[in-house]
Amino acid sequence: MNQTEAKIRNLFTVVTILIAASLVLAPASVLARAGKPGAVVDSREITTATATFDPVRPEAARVIATAFQSIGWDVKANPIDYNQNVQKVIMEHDYDMWLVMLSGASLRIDPNVFTYKKHFSGEYKKGGWNWEGLSDMSIDELVVAQQKEMDVEKRKQIVYEAQQRIKQSQSMSVLAYVQMTNAYRSDRIKSVVPMMGEGIGSFWTDINMEVVKGDGYVRTGATSPLKNLNPVAAKDHLEFMELRMIYDRLFRINPDGEAEPWAAKSFKVIDPTTIDLTLRQGMKFHDGEEVTAEDVKFTFDYHTKWKAPFFVESLKNVASVETTGKYSVRIKLNEPYAPFIPNLLGAIFIIPQHIWKDIPEKAGVTDPLNFANEKPVGSGPFKFDYWDRGRELKVTAFKEHFSEPKSEGIIRVVYGSHDAMAAAIEKGECDRTRYILKPSLLMDLRKVKNVVAEGYPNHGFYTLSYHTQRPPLDDPAFRQAIDHVIPRELIIEAILSSFGEPGGSIIAPANKFWHNPAVKASPEDINKAKQILKDAGYWWDKQGRLHYPK
Amino acid sequence: MQEYIIKRVLFTFLTLFGVATILFFIFRIMPGDPTAQVISPALDPVAQAALKKAYGLDKPLIVQYVLYLKNLVIFDWGRSFTSSQQVFGILTYRFWNTIFLMGAAMCFVLVMGTGLGMVMAWRRGGPMDSGGTVLALIFQSAPPFVTGLLLLIVLSYRLDLFPTGGMHTPGVSIGSGLGMFFSGDFLHHLVLPTITVALYYLATPMLIMRDSMLEVMGSDFIELAKAKGLAPHRVMIKHAARNALLAVVTVSSLMIGFAIGGQVLVESVFSWPGMGQLMVEAASSHDYPVAQATFLVLAALVIFLNLIADISYCYLDPRIKIGKSKG
Repeated sequence: MNQTEAKIRNLFTVVTILIAASLVLAPASVLARAGKPGAVVDSREITTATATFDPVRPEAARVIATAFQSIGWDVKANPIDYNQNVQKVIMEHDYDMWLVMLSGASLRIDPNVFTYKKHFSGEYKKGGWNWEGLSDMSIDELVVAQQKEMDVEKRKQIVYEAQQRIKQSQSMSVLAYVQMTNAYRSDRIKSVVPMMGEGIGSFWTDINMEVVKGDGYVRTGATSPLKNLNPVAAKDHLEFMELRMIYDRLFRINPDGEAEPWAAKSFKVIDPTTIDLTLRQGMKFHDGEEVTAEDVKFTFDYHTKWKAPFFVESLKNVASVETTGKYSVRIKLNEPYAPFIPNLLGAIFIIPQHIWKDIPEKAGVTDPLNFANEKPVGSGPFKFDYWDRGRELKVTAFKEHFSEPKSEGIIRVVYGSHDAMAAAIEKGECDRTRYILKPSLLMDLRKVKNVVAEGYPNHGFYTLSYHTQRPPLDDPAFRQAIDHVIPRELIIEAILSSFGEPGGSIIAPANKFWHNPAVKASPEDINKAKQILKDAGYWWDKQGRLHYPK
Repeated sequence: MQEYIIKRVLFTFLTLFGVATILFFIFRIMPGDPTAQVISPALDPVAQAALKKAYGLDKPLIVQYVLYLKNLVIFDWGRSFTSSQQVFGILTYRFWNTIFLMGAAMCFVLVMGTGLGMVMAWRRGGPMDSGGTVLALIFQSAPPFVTGLLLLIVLSYRLDLFPTGGMHTPGVSIGSGLGMFFSGDFLHHLVLPTITVALYYLATPMLIMRDSMLEVMGSDFIELAKAKGLAPHRVMIKHAARNALLAVVTVSSLMIGFAIGGQVLVESVFSWPGMGQLMVEAASSHDYPVAQATFLVLAALVIFLNLIADISYCYLDPRIKIGKSKG
């Protein structure tokens, strides 16, 4: 009896202490948010990935941390596993600053991703893109307006203005627009077509390059093995780069970054929420079946039904897809959405209904996301030949395609490291790179005869995100000041081997149509930074440590 | 003896169960999330939920664990999160790639190592003994990727004798399974990685053999064999070496186990798609089914090789008669 009582009393004490503690701590955490008036500015960390993932990031983080220390602010670089970066920053919002690369995927040519998704206040949520936590009414209005504006010139003006406002808010500092560093053998292939954000690894190179010497096949080198050839389950850019050769899209993003009709012969915007598409006639899947409007409708319905991870968000806006003839469909949207054509019609792969209607049931899986799709059948310019797991993928030109490739086919070879791939190019065992080759290796390859090693324009960039809910980063003046401290030139020269340009606007200059030339990179100027801080009330003590305004 | 073997086998399975359990939890404790691999790091909650469901990660941990154990026993190892392929298929393929490389290297190492060790001990203090010891130690101390890179620079880049990496020339079919060994292209690609691995592991059996030979050579029965007037090479091989082999067997069974899992670096230098690379890829992309299976297979391999070493003792050394010590 006594014992039970003691236990209950103990429990009661514990609960009381917990409640008391939370009462004391709650205001304390509110205080911590505001930054104590007059106190030393809080020490902060730059979270980033490890050197094994990307040698540039920890190096750049250290250089920036040192620069921030020079104005009396205690900052450290903290390189951790990339997966943890994602978890901490995007899922938990538990970070101070994040140095990350927003790569130039073709989906990001349309300004919606970098304006709306990156800066709209509602995107500050678990898994959302506005991990800086920026909440600015005027920016919100602009980024929503550009999304709904179907007139492209009017939309451009809104995007211009948004870029300016976003630069002023400085919730992130664009560090450098990094070039796509690629290499190829000019004695083996010709007519490569570089594309913004993809370099010579682009789809347009795939179909246009000609083989000068050899068996007609192009050996394309990559440093990571292909994971998946299931167009519905595909999740990363490297998979999309191979899938898009085998499967066709309704639109394709052309080398200038504009969406142009591809499998769709023409399109008509009936009203802001209704789009009519007419398919090319006579297109065939690799097994001989014809591609019809039924397949297109099926594709949309199937991706929606099974929540295809990459498309689920854009598909939410599709109200219905109906066939209006053998080769025509009508798509109805829930509300006007300007990036719909490039970002959904230019990305989703047309899958053959006669094959996928039996999946997952006949494939022995419960969900198509678990379907391995060992022998992909699409209607793209290349047909699947074989995929030797971990080693190579071979695709062969599909002669009946309306845009028949100029080579016999492509073999994708996996190399164990960037160095191994560079050596293979030097020896002539590999004809071209698929994706980025380490900039330092490019300098060596430039000395080799018959090798072209170049940096190509890219709309992706390295950026430093500020968690704008944490002091001192909650103060726009503070953010503007430190943007002037970042040694962009040093980073580009020393770490990027000069394959980059200082970053200002979130829309890169390479993205000519959307980039606002008036938004420029902040010049490195410590005195100016100090002046901005002084004007905002910050001050330095005798040891040179930076303090919050009194 | 029988009793001993049964006991050992039972313990082996118990250990395996322990390893399987630890593996299950260790990968789930690891920070990060398999659904965070989707293209742009930002991920729609709906997509994340759909992925979790497809991966079976929406169930409570304990249910996942029971399912995992059940599937382990019936050899249904699930599908990879990243490639959707059967884990068993991926593993078999990668496993054999590594086995071909390691098998070739280990045969070389064991034959050369014991042979050299034997001769070195027999001619103790001679130029071959001291020279061999120094060289072997140098190669064992040098990380294998350094040796590999040096070989590549000299034999591949400069002299153009061998390809820079891979298992075969792109686009050339080399067949599958053991048939690969009849393909010249495959053998051509196999040479450099094999030499690299072999140089690294050569010291172990060689020095063990040498030491153990020296010990045996001091025994009376060797004196007796010599006194009988047997030819020196007969004494060396039939009498001394046979007895000295015991130690090599123990060490090499463990060495082979580690060699199969521990060659991540050689595999990446030579772009060899083996188990080591698979382990790293799977662990870093949070592909639980593949990561668990690779580590488990490796653990099982080391544990079984240990078992075999223990049991083979009983046959190699007639003096060991466990369980019948009283009789």
